[in-house]
Amino acid sequence: MDRGLTTPDGDTDGQPRFIERFESPSRRIHWTLGILYVLLLLSGVTNFWPEVKALQFADVRVFAWLHVVLGWAFVAGLAAVLGPLLAPTPAGHALRADLRALTRAGLDDYLWLQHLALRAMRAPSTPPRVGKFNAGQKLNALASLTLSLGLAASGAVLGVNYMTKSVFGVGFVESVFPWHTALGLLAIPPLLAHLYLALLHPATREALRGMVLGRVRRDWAREHHPAWVDEVERAEGETG
Amino acid sequence: MDERTSGTARDSGGDRGAAALAGRVLSRGRFLALLAGSAVAGWAAVKVLGSLTGGWRINTVEQPRPRFYAHAYRLTIDGLVEQPLTLTYGELLALPAVRQVSDFHCVEGWGVDDVQWDGVSLQTITDLVRPSPEAGFVTFHSLGEIYRDSLTLEQALLPDVLVAYRMNGAELPPDHGPPARLIMPRMYGYKGPKWLTRIEFRDSRDIGYWEERGWRVDAWIEA
Repeated sequence: MDRGLTTPDGDTDGQPRFIERFESPSRRIHWTLGILYVLLLLSGVTNFWPEVKALQFADVRVFAWLHVVLGWAFVAGLAAVLGPLLAPTPAGHALRADLRALTRAGLDDYLWLQHLALRAMRAPSTPPRVGKFNAGQKLNALASLTLSLGLAASGAVLGVNYMTKSVFGVGFVESVFPWHTALGLLAIPPLLAHLYLALLHPATREALRGMVLGRVRRDWAREHHPAWVDEVERAEGETG
Repeated sequence: MDERTSGTARDSGGDRGAAALAGRVLSRGRFLALLAGSAVAGWAAVKVLGSLTGGWRINTVEQPRPRFYAHAYRLTIDGLVEQPLTLTYGELLALPAVRQVSDFHCVEGWGVDDVQWDGVSLQTITDLVRPSPEAGFVTFHSLGEIYRDSLTLEQALLPDVLVAYRMNGAELPPDHGPPARLIMPRMYGYKGPKWLTRIEFRDSRDIGYWEERGWRVDAWIEA
């Protein structure tokens, strides 16, 4: 797997300069659902802006229509994740391993958060040896997962209500509506934090390469995810 | 995979022993507690956000947003009637008033329970203008002359149809169509134009703004 990378990217110490972080199915899932998620939030917040909400094209309110259509695409996208998630392929295996790592919390995660807090207070602190994902990434994954599932479930009810009033009773729909709103608003701060860290913050920006091209700089990974680099290099030693 | 990591961890001892514990810090009990905590947080968020907006979402196609000036306001009731009528704001408030508590339902899926409306029953207004026998429909016009909607005369004369000028004890707030809006609690909210300025009795149906765009003409709420 790494052999293709070794020759062109070889560093002076003979080690490949980059390290594989995300297989293409993981990246595809991230970008498909991620872009829909952002568009859904943007079209959703127009609800609080009557002038924008009233914008029409072909006698249809543009943002309401878009929100429903994108919402169904998101539900379909979530369902489609089951394909690669259950696939008996190396990419499927990698995806399952990532999901396991992301949903497992431990002492190191607590220590990492403590390190973050101490650093924020300008107190001396050394971070624990982080694996493939740090506690922040795990929290982001957990928030995205819960919010996505909650928004998709409540949104499906409202999406059906948009198309027909004969499936769900008005009382049920109206009990779901405030949950959809609350989850949608709760989704904004973690999304902004995620975008800031991925696109702007110098120390963490390198991670974006991992989600775009699938690989990250080995020296960056060694600094931010040392335990993971050890693990990968052990595996590299075993196979090549 | 689990066993392998905890195995190596135990081998290297000390520091790593703590890491072996790590995988189990989030036990099932703690996970359930976390889940319950999130549910409580979600419930609180729903309540707080709900109370911040009062449950209302503002919809209007009137642009710019109509503005109400009490001295300039007139409510015209005309069309196929024996006695057309133009009311000033003061005259509208002087008509026999009724109070109603009803649930408001929006076609979008949100609703506000137990809204208290003060206003004039449409029956009262109809009695004043005396529709001619051929009048079978009523159209309600907004101040900006963009939005309008309609009911059959029979629907309009249901006892809970109101020209409402107070909401929960106060004058209608700017977004809720002051000084008066139509309230038809048995149908979705788009049947009740805000900034109401004209009530027109007709012999043919002028369906309404959203109905022209494919929405249901009779928007009964089915529980």
